[in-house]
Amino acid sequence: MEFKELDPILHSQLRLAVVSLLISVREAEFTFLKEKTNSTAGNLSVQINKLKDAGYLDVTKQFNNNYPQTICKITKKGIEAFEEYVKALQSYMNPNGSE
Amino acid sequence: MQKDTMNESESLKLITEMIGKAKSSYHSSGTGAIMWGIVIFFCSIFDFLEMQFHFYIGFDIWWLMWVALIPQLVMVFKNSKNKKFVSYEETTMSYVWSAFGASILMLMFFNGYYRPSHSESLFLMLFGLPTFITGGMFRFKPMIVGGMICWVLFAVSLYTELKINLLLMALAALSAWLIPGIILRKKCKTEAQQ
Repeated sequence: MEFKELDPILHSQLRLAVVSLLISVREAEFTFLKEKTNSTAGNLSVQINKLKDAGYLDVTKQFNNNYPQTICKITKKGIEAFEEYVKALQSYMNPNGSE
Repeated sequence: MQKDTMNESESLKLITEMIGKAKSSYHSSGTGAIMWGIVIFFCSIFDFLEMQFHFYIGFDIWWLMWVALIPQLVMVFKNSKNKKFVSYEETTMSYVWSAFGASILMLMFFNGYYRPSHSESLFLMLFGLPTFITGGMFRFKPMIVGGMICWVLFAVSLYTELKINLLLMALAALSAWLIPGIILRKKCKTEAQQ
């Protein structure tokens, strides 16, 4: 029986929560992610940067009504990594299942 | 949300929870549906009354549709400014309704140019299309039923005269947009209070 290795970038609670949210929407603002994950701005910002550095997220900073706005969007690489992560999870949950 | 280690079932639970949260974040207030429902209902009834009682107000009442475009555009602009996220469903819907708007516009020009008979039937058929898709996409039964009613009215309109077809259009506006819009608005208000 061979278990797939879980992607360490995604295997963290906040980063996985962010990616799971972004996989369901086309794009989302920083405040939306903060509200849905109940995280602090500082921690969320650090985790988003890690995801961005891994190439999983596209982050755009802009101004809306003179207020800074951070828009996050999952990349193709991020979607593939998420799909692989879910497959790996399934292999752990259902070790006898066929691939 | 600080924990860095999770077991597999916790990961799956978190993914499901977050996808659910994102999906339930999108709500339509029903304002657009109510507004267009009222405009088309009013124009159809007014046009019917003009024919029935032989009077004319000096301009085509359907020009009100162009006036209604202004608050619609303001609403779209305002919403896009305040939006915290953009869902895939919303994007698809905006394409569907834009295609519908463009088709209605082309049909209006076509009617103005060729003045074909029973063109109201084509409007009824078109009314049903985006309504049915929207209802199906958001699993919102009143709009699915509304879309289907438009198609039934389309079939009926093939056998009735213009005056009656205007009443059918009013009925279509009521069942496809006005009533579902009011239900949506009520639902949105209830959810906001919770």
